[in-house]
Amino acid sequence: MRPRWRKVFLDLIDNKLRTLLVVLSIAVGVFAVGMIAGTYVIISNDMSASYAANRPANVQIRSDDFDDELLTTIRRDRAVAEAEGRRVVNLRVRAPDSQKWVSLDIVAIKDFDKNQINLLNPISGKIKPDKRELLLEREALKDLDVQVGDKVEVQLADGTIKRLPVVGIVQDPTTGAGDFLGQPFGYITMDTLPYLREPERYNRIYATVAEGQDDLVHIRQVTADLKDKIEKAGYQVRRTNSSKTHEHPLASVVNAILGILMALGVLIVFLSSSLIANTLNALLNQHLRHIGVMKLVGGRRNQIFSMYIVLILTFGLLALLIAVPLGGQGAYALSRLIADLMSFTLQGYRIVPIAFVIQALIGLLIPLAAGAGPLVRGTHTSVLQAISGDSGRGDGSKPKGEEKRESRWERFQVRAAAALGRRGIHIPRPLLISLRNTFRRRSRFILTLFTLTMGGAIFISVFNVRVSLHEFIGAVGKYFLADVTLDFDQPYRLREIEQYARQVPGVVDVEGWAYASAEALYADGSTADNITILAPPAESPLVAPIVVAGRWIRPDDKRALAVTEGILALYPDLKPGDAIRLKINGQEETWEVVGLFKFIDREGYLAYAPYEYISRQNNQANQAYSFRIATEKHDRPYQTAMSATLDQYFRDAGFKVRQAQPGLSSLDKASESLDILIVFLLIMALLTATVGSMGLTGTMGMNVLERTREIGIMRAVGATDGTITRMVMIEGVVIGSISWVFAVLLSFPITVLLSTIISVAIFQNPIELVFTWTGYLIWLALVLVLSAFASILPARNAARLTIREVLAYE
Amino acid sequence: MATDVLPIIELRGVVKVYTSEAGDFTALKGIDAQVMPGEFLGIVGKSGAGKSTLLNMISGVDHLTRGEVIVRANGKDVSVHTLNENDLALWRGRTMGIVYQSFQLLPMLTLVENVMLPMDLCGLYHPRRSRERALELLTLVELEEHANKLPAFISGGQQQRVAIARALANDPPILIADEPTGSLDSVTADHIFELFEHLRENGKTIVMVTHDKSLSPRFSRHLVLADGEIVPNGKREI
Repeated sequence: MRPRWRKVFLDLIDNKLRTLLVVLSIAVGVFAVGMIAGTYVIISNDMSASYAANRPANVQIRSDDFDDELLTTIRRDRAVAEAEGRRVVNLRVRAPDSQKWVSLDIVAIKDFDKNQINLLNPISGKIKPDKRELLLEREALKDLDVQVGDKVEVQLADGTIKRLPVVGIVQDPTTGAGDFLGQPFGYITMDTLPYLREPERYNRIYATVAEGQDDLVHIRQVTADLKDKIEKAGYQVRRTNSSKTHEHPLASVVNAILGILMALGVLIVFLSSSLIANTLNALLNQHLRHIGVMKLVGGRRNQIFSMYIVLILTFGLLALLIAVPLGGQGAYALSRLIADLMSFTLQGYRIVPIAFVIQALIGLLIPLAAGAGPLVRGTHTSVLQAISGDSGRGDGSKPKGEEKRESRWERFQVRAAAALGRRGIHIPRPLLISLRNTFRRRSRFILTLFTLTMGGAIFISVFNVRVSLHEFIGAVGKYFLADVTLDFDQPYRLREIEQYARQVPGVVDVEGWAYASAEALYADGSTADNITILAPPAESPLVAPIVVAGRWIRPDDKRALAVTEGILALYPDLKPGDAIRLKINGQEETWEVVGLFKFIDREGYLAYAPYEYISRQNNQANQAYSFRIATEKHDRPYQTAMSATLDQYFRDAGFKVRQAQPGLSSLDKASESLDILIVFLLIMALLTATVGSMGLTGTMGMNVLERTREIGIMRAVGATDGTITRMVMIEGVVIGSISWVFAVLLSFPITVLLSTIISVAIFQNPIELVFTWTGYLIWLALVLVLSAFASILPARNAARLTIREVLAYE
Repeated sequence: MATDVLPIIELRGVVKVYTSEAGDFTALKGIDAQVMPGEFLGIVGKSGAGKSTLLNMISGVDHLTRGEVIVRANGKDVSVHTLNENDLALWRGRTMGIVYQSFQLLPMLTLVENVMLPMDLCGLYHPRRSRERALELLTLVELEEHANKLPAFISGGQQQRVAIARALANDPPILIADEPTGSLDSVTADHIFELFEHLRENGKTIVMVTHDKSLSPRFSRHLVLADGEIVPNGKREI
């Protein structure tokens, strides 16, 4: 190997800690970006591909029971490619020998062989059940401890228990894809329905459109036309849904979250680049004499430049060797986690070329960009400057580089120490040296501080965002203050249910709630979206809305509703007092919007109208299908126990109970999903913190190396190992502490930014911010520990140096 | 000395002024001097006399304020300070070998690699040939058995001999030495001096700076420098 290339090679292996630090700091950023970019590509492709491969319905209509005659009419529609009828019934299922009932949406399919829409993927066992057999969607196994071959118990509305063998486990990537808080599914044949005392009739239509399968406007039009057709045939449509073939309903949410993670990944690269710049700057400072010698014996600038370019590129290549495989594995692991959560199938592990290209570009270009400044400065240094180690002499110019004159800050330090001394306060010299050393290399100090501050600010912000999200979920929970929701298959009189319920110890209050399904219409009469109208008694204490404009509902309201603020996406200028057109039970009506409230808008929009009005419109005055029950206690175990008790009590009394659910159960699912997101954010925050602490380790290492001679002098005049170690560690901890102060300040805008992006992606609206001490305190503890640890190795190295070694140091 | 032979190094009115916050300082005050081919010229003077600055003017390591330095070597007349930094580096690598008091070896390279470095950078020798030549030069300075050691593992005198071998790597006609024996004991210094004398006998032109007046008799000629000027009475022919 030629001497100059051997020098490059030896520079790499000579200072292993420095090489490791540079390589790791590049690798962290490359890994983060590779992982997120890979996940983005895998999820974008596989989520939609897996979804489309299972032929998702473009149109989904829930209606009254109907038969093949109506289905044939739908199939004949020119706009429809395929249409299937299914019956979906909600029943309770439990594993044998288990007391835990699980609510399951059981889908009855007429002919599994001819199934063309919402196809199922086999996981284990049979893919087509026979009569009186059950397939389970794999999500159901989270709550049901059963295997293929086991028999589950199914409880019918009248309380009868039926048994069905589980013959297979399947995955259903399409049915309910837009609602990750929905019930798990089971699948049976239509001829199993009589066994479950259900009619062999359909209540759902799943259809694909003949053309424009990714044209949502067209699909919505087809849905509206089909709905009209069904209603004209005398059936009531309860709900419609339109979706594209090649776009998973949650794609925008997942992409938004991946976008946030990507932004954090880019930030990590940015932070690591400042670390690289710091390290390369120090490296070139140390190599100044080498550059001078090479120029002295005939080395030209481009030769020396290319040597250091190769050195930097090698750092990048080594980082790529670590980060590319890890990033690939990380991308697949993250994709698998998301795929499991969203119930779709990945197309297998693969290298994502674009992620590789991005990683390669970042891994090679960022170090080059970060090193360009120091490299140009280093190679432009004259031979005399380089050899004499004086960067300010030789060409008659003024001194360059480090400030030669005493700065204001230095004067302040000296005067402050003197002033304290006059008052009898003597700061120990080693501590004074530590404090002064902290600010000596100002550009290096600022870069380190910046890296550590950003890491800390993001870390703290993630905690704030987590609490904000949970507070919001908690606030949304105030729309569901009932401890138990009791749904029946037929309407019952309010007084009757109340009298029965109050017999159960612990029941405090009972309310009947009505319900209506509406379509919001645009001015031209086309359907904008679905609106679910919940109708509690207007003065119900079981709803505590977050009203953002106007007012809440009143008992005397007629054709008036309070609606979620998400509706502004459809009507941007809507304000309280305005009228909107709704289609309810096939009739177009004008309703007044009395207020806007905050809510999570998924699967359409939510509105509230008074029970007093809606129940009369439904011809069910003083009756209800659904009841909200308040109990003495409000904790989850009590709610769960009361749900079971009330369920059993009403079934025993001969009521047709559909289900009894504890009030907070759906919130638990929402919190669980948010926690997964928070874990991802925390991982990214920890990566930024890692880059920050690596930056500090590097800085301390460089500081110690550059002060080797000073350390030797201090040892020569009596400094012990402990004094030297303490001096270095105090310097690290001072930097860490200062960064914490800045991180606290910076965490406020970052919290606002992160929270807004995430809440808009998930809830469609920004949420109220909540700040928690947790993040601030954890980061303070963490940054102090990290600072101390980051200084330990350089401190030990400094303490180990003998006087002879340090005074001989060049 | 034949009159038709032109000086290999010619200094014409060389002035060097350092500017600092404390004010201007004139290190060289219009130096006119000539070095003939094959000479072993000593520049003698006290610390701060301007000896090293003068060498830096000759080698182009530092910029002059006024005047001109002309070097006639390898068939070319070069006004050193008209070259840009890149051309100057290549020209210097091929024309001059420079030896410093502090050796200036690269600590991570072995002795043979240090000697090969100028050949690698100037591209005058094929890589294989450059290794053979580096070993020959180490043999010349009697260090062949240490060829694969790092500089830190040999003595100061040995390091200086490696620095001389490195200075000879591209077979330059001129050797510039700045206090090459300044940090060595008298016996080692004597060996180094003998080596320079041997090189002069083999046709090299050598310009050496020293503060040690006792070495003056060993040069073929010497100039005495004081306060940035050549002292007329200090000049004598040997």
